Amino acid sequence: MTDKAAIGFWHWLVGAWMLLVIYGAFFYAPTAQGFVGESARIVFFHVPLAWVAVLAFCVNLWTSLRYLARRDPLDDARAAAAARLGLVFSVLATVTGSLFAKVMWGEFWNWDPRQISIVILLLVYAAYFALREAIADEERRGGLAAAYATLAFVTMPFLVFVVPRIYFSLHPDTLINVRGSIDMDSRMLQVLLAALVGFTGIFVWLYTLEVRLARVLIERQQREES
Amino acid sequence: MATVRITFSGLGKRFGSRTVLKGLSGELRARCVVAVTGPNGSGKSTLLNLLAGVMRPSSGSVSYLATDTPVPRHRWHTLSGVAGPDMAVYEELSALENLRFFARLRGLARTDGELERVLADLGLAARDARRLVATFSSGMKQRVKLAQAVVHEPAVLLLDEPSSNLDETGHDTIAALVKSLRGRAAVAIATNDPREMAWGDERIQLGN
Amino acid sequence: MSASSLATEALAVFAKELRSELRSRVAVNSIGLFGLTTLVAVAYQIGPYQIHEQDRPHLLAAMLWIILFFAALSGLQRVFVKEEDAHTAKTLRLAARPLAVWAGKLLFNVALLAALQAFLVPLYGVLMGMQVRGVVPLIALLAAGCVAMALTATIVAAIIARASGSGTLFAILAVPLMLPLLVMLIAGTRVAMTSPRWSDVLPALQGVGALAGVTLVASVYLFPVVWHD
Repeated sequence: MTDKAAIGFWHWLVGAWMLLVIYGAFFYAPTAQGFVGESARIVFFHVPLAWVAVLAFCVNLWTSLRYLARRDPLDDARAAAAARLGLVFSVLATVTGSLFAKVMWGEFWNWDPRQISIVILLLVYAAYFALREAIADEERRGGLAAAYATLAFVTMPFLVFVVPRIYFSLHPDTLINVRGSIDMDSRMLQVLLAALVGFTGIFVWLYTLEVRLARVLIERQQREES
Repeated sequence: MATVRITFSGLGKRFGSRTVLKGLSGELRARCVVAVTGPNGSGKSTLLNLLAGVMRPSSGSVSYLATDTPVPRHRWHTLSGVAGPDMAVYEELSALENLRFFARLRGLARTDGELERVLADLGLAARDARRLVATFSSGMKQRVKLAQAVVHEPAVLLLDEPSSNLDETGHDTIAALVKSLRGRAAVAIATNDPREMAWGDERIQLGN
Repeated sequence: MSASSLATEALAVFAKELRSELRSRVAVNSIGLFGLTTLVAVAYQIGPYQIHEQDRPHLLAAMLWIILFFAALSGLQRVFVKEEDAHTAKTLRLAARPLAVWAGKLLFNVALLAALQAFLVPLYGVLMGMQVRGVVPLIALLAAGCVAMALTATIVAAIIARASGSGTLFAILAVPLMLPLLVMLIAGTRVAMTSPRWSDVLPALQGVGALAGVTLVASVYLFPVVWHD
């Protein structure tokens, strides 16, 4: 019962926090200089979405490696849950990025290295699920999907760090710029950090929900067998 | 040739929600033929796959002991020979090339003469040894498959329905093969053929 | 069991692949004909003179690697798919160490890609009027690209071989993993066309080498898992 109460409280907390973030993004943070109109405010949503997409990718790797080591079906369910959320968040990051690109540079899509990185992340997630769909045996599905996730993870740094160095990028400096300093108005920074925390909270909420569901299904299956 | 003993305990295998084997324990000893019997779907092939190490058990464990020293999993393939209906040899290679390949994979360099003798023991004439397997009848393919399993003189031989696709003389060939290996190897045969069951010194009965 | 015996076993797998391929020629036919057909289509439709002088290095480099990339995608998965199709995979699994199988198949894919490059790149150069100032750096880049592509293709082929609909799945899984490689190879080739200096091609060469190294390490760890699953 206390567990249930704790979960309930935590959900209300994330909800209230996100309301504050939304309010802050539109009314508390000042208008950014050097951007068209109020377009820069999308940063409070776009950056956390991209961050969660990458976070989900890391959770997916961790649970995949654990599955390969221990062969616990719950780890496979965790990896799949992380990938599913990663897919949703990378789609949202791509869409918010495109909206911003349209306002700033007049085109939804201009093959910017960072756009390509997020699209490849999206393709990796899509391929991951295409692979899972094509394997009927649960154990084999878990093992092969985990292997692909690991392989994809080790090639991603090349896309994120090497390729943008070869090509010129329009993308604004990432949160911490090349000089190694955080170059942002302090109120904007507060809202952005709060948004990062909030979106991470949403991710944790959805992720634990999926894992609890998977746990129940696995336990039921085991009960039926014995 | 070291003698090898395989022990297995609490062995179980599930495919999704279907439990095929559960809590099976026992052992295969050198100089002993075990007949594995049971109706279709009772897990005969699954048991052999688990013993060969080509399938991961859902529960329990299998270990190979060479004179009581455990053999690591990655060395099992040098000690065991397996033939089963879901296995094939390379059709685009000749029988001789197939055998040479499977011997080399186990780190053995065999002369053509030695390989031809293995094939001859299984009833394949020397002129057939150099023909492509693609031109063979299913019975001849079965013989090459069996040759592949014994080319390295394994200490453990696992045969799944060995006389499928074979005629009467083929059946006698298998009988001779089992007899020749009986003196030194641990043998398990999955079968429902009463004559083959009779070769077994011991029997593992699966299913209810 | 020593490293030398691993090498012997890997060579046995390689020799088997080569012998099978020389008899059936399925992979050579699909990859070679795919490459040739695309090259002819590109050369006929675009040719050397449809492209402005200043766009040449970039476009010619990009088209060359796209042709090589898709030709590779049409045949490199066969090393594992054919073993599953012919039911020889289990026989092989029971007879060989996973690493020997992986190394033998990798060598075969490297050889296949090298043959494709040896046949296609000079032809492309002639038909498209490709002028290369750094010939030796370009050859180094082609060699590195050949190894890196074969590495990724081989491990992805092993993953998809046991899934259904493996032909399309191979492209779906391989494309996102190979795109960074492709980008670096195109950038490097463009530079090699305009500059004879090693130092200019070096960043791309290092990137490709590092990616190949990472894929190699991941494959050695993952292949036994994939092969036995």
